[in-house]
Amino acid sequence: MKQDDFQKRHQAEWQDLASWLDARARPKARERRLDAAGVPSDLEFPALYRRVCQHLALAERRGYSNLLIERLQDLVHRGHLVLYRPPPPRWLSVLSFFSAGFPRLVRAQWRAMSVAAVLFFLPLVIMIALLQWRPELVHSMFDVSQLAEFEAMYDPANSEMRLGRESGSDLKMFGHYILNNVSIGFRTFASGLLFCVGSIIVLVSNGLIIGGVAGHLTAIGYGEPFWRFVVGHSAPELLAIVISGGAGLQIGMALIAPGRRSRGRALVESGIIGGRLVLGVFAMLVFAAFVEAFWSSIGWMPNPIKYSVGGALWVLILAWLWRGGRGQVDAA
Amino acid sequence: MLDTLSHVETPEGISLRLRSAGVLPRAAAWLVDFAVRLAVVWVFSILFAVLGEAGLGLYLIALFVVFWMYPVLFEVLRDGQTIGKKAMGLRVVNSNGTPVTWIASIVRNLMRTVDMLPVLYGFGFVAGLIDPHSRRLGDMVAGTLVIHVEKSQRHVSAPEVPVVYAPVALAADERAAIVAFAERAQQLTPERQQELAAILHRLTEAHGAAGVQRLYGMASGLLGRR
Repeated sequence: MKQDDFQKRHQAEWQDLASWLDARARPKARERRLDAAGVPSDLEFPALYRRVCQHLALAERRGYSNLLIERLQDLVHRGHLVLYRPPPPRWLSVLSFFSAGFPRLVRAQWRAMSVAAVLFFLPLVIMIALLQWRPELVHSMFDVSQLAEFEAMYDPANSEMRLGRESGSDLKMFGHYILNNVSIGFRTFASGLLFCVGSIIVLVSNGLIIGGVAGHLTAIGYGEPFWRFVVGHSAPELLAIVISGGAGLQIGMALIAPGRRSRGRALVESGIIGGRLVLGVFAMLVFAAFVEAFWSSIGWMPNPIKYSVGGALWVLILAWLWRGGRGQVDAA
Repeated sequence: MLDTLSHVETPEGISLRLRSAGVLPRAAAWLVDFAVRLAVVWVFSILFAVLGEAGLGLYLIALFVVFWMYPVLFEVLRDGQTIGKKAMGLRVVNSNGTPVTWIASIVRNLMRTVDMLPVLYGFGFVAGLIDPHSRRLGDMVAGTLVIHVEKSQRHVSAPEVPVVYAPVALAADERAAIVAFAERAQQLTPERQQELAAILHRLTEAHGAAGVQRLYGMASGLLGRR
């Protein structure tokens, strides 16, 4: 068949598909319905789209002109974007991701996670222990003004009202923690792409700094307000940093040792895992920021409650990561 | 090959052509987005300044959303286009040509952290120049592609003139060239049309405007007009 006949025969179908795609692109649902006259219904779209795909294949096979092929390519690509768009997220799948999918993913990446945990917790514990034994070593980490700042925040003499901050309302600090902590979590993950180096640096340096502050404040006798403040949000926050570090490490490892896959393929696969892990990290850090801003700062709460809530959060979160989603069939 | 086209085979058994966008239009789109974000942050800073301390908290949360979530929300909810990309006619798609998914968009935008290093998207710039599809590092990890949105132009067809038959049998690529000339010639000046037609003066056995008309006539024949 010559091109002109072909065009005349199928022109109407191409116009139908174009008008359906145009109508769909209208921003408001109400407008879409008003214009519905003369536009094929949504149910006709898949069949129409496949017919135009076939026309494109024929046009290319028969060597029709470039302009015609380009026009069909354009139509087909627009249809392709509609037909293969991702389904909207459902509440149930979000729920099952957080209750089952995420903990399972963390366990599946247990190597990266345990390396990240060691990289973070080992410097932290060593710093705390070291500063009890040789308190003056803290000066090799922080300068005097920084130390004065930490000490002012946790001075037992002026911490009846608010713990862990010099000033600022709960909501202000909530925003501050969200911006800071979640950004740190995201960067810990992303910098793993630099052959793991970025994640390792962030994990170790955060371990050293947090351990340094904790060790110093404990050594000079400011330990009580400090531990009272941090115990509540420590579990979600520290574990989230470890998980984002682990997510970064597995991306770096996909680059260093892709195994029997090409590096590009390994990167994309680790990217999907990392992206899902980061979703969970994000939720954990928002929760941690909430606890830190609205619970940890309450000064009058008696110690037993503070410590038991903090301990309970550690137990619950670890149990969630350890047992969550076990024995279930993956919905995704 | 210096070709930015990539072909993707779809389940329908046809190959989609995606034209990946180079570094410069993407940088321009980023600048537009940057200006939009600055403006939004500025408006928020005024709005929340009224609320005092609590307003500062909301402002910091807004800052977080604008910094980290703006590109993700736009890319997934607005057909792969942030405001800047829309202005520059760009679109983010998965490397198989389907609309970008949540996870892919999150990954490619978090990886900006690395692409930004050491300064001013240095790594992303170098990666974009090296990669045949101008992908920055984030695109490689997320498996995404930034492509040009084809402007759907009005379909033009070859001019309707009486059929002229070619004196010799033409090969497939020769026929395609003549049809392509007839379809595109309207975009050229008459002088250029005649110049191009003159290359085929042996075939058309005519010069100047007459040669152009004879080529149109041959194209009509090839398109199957009567």
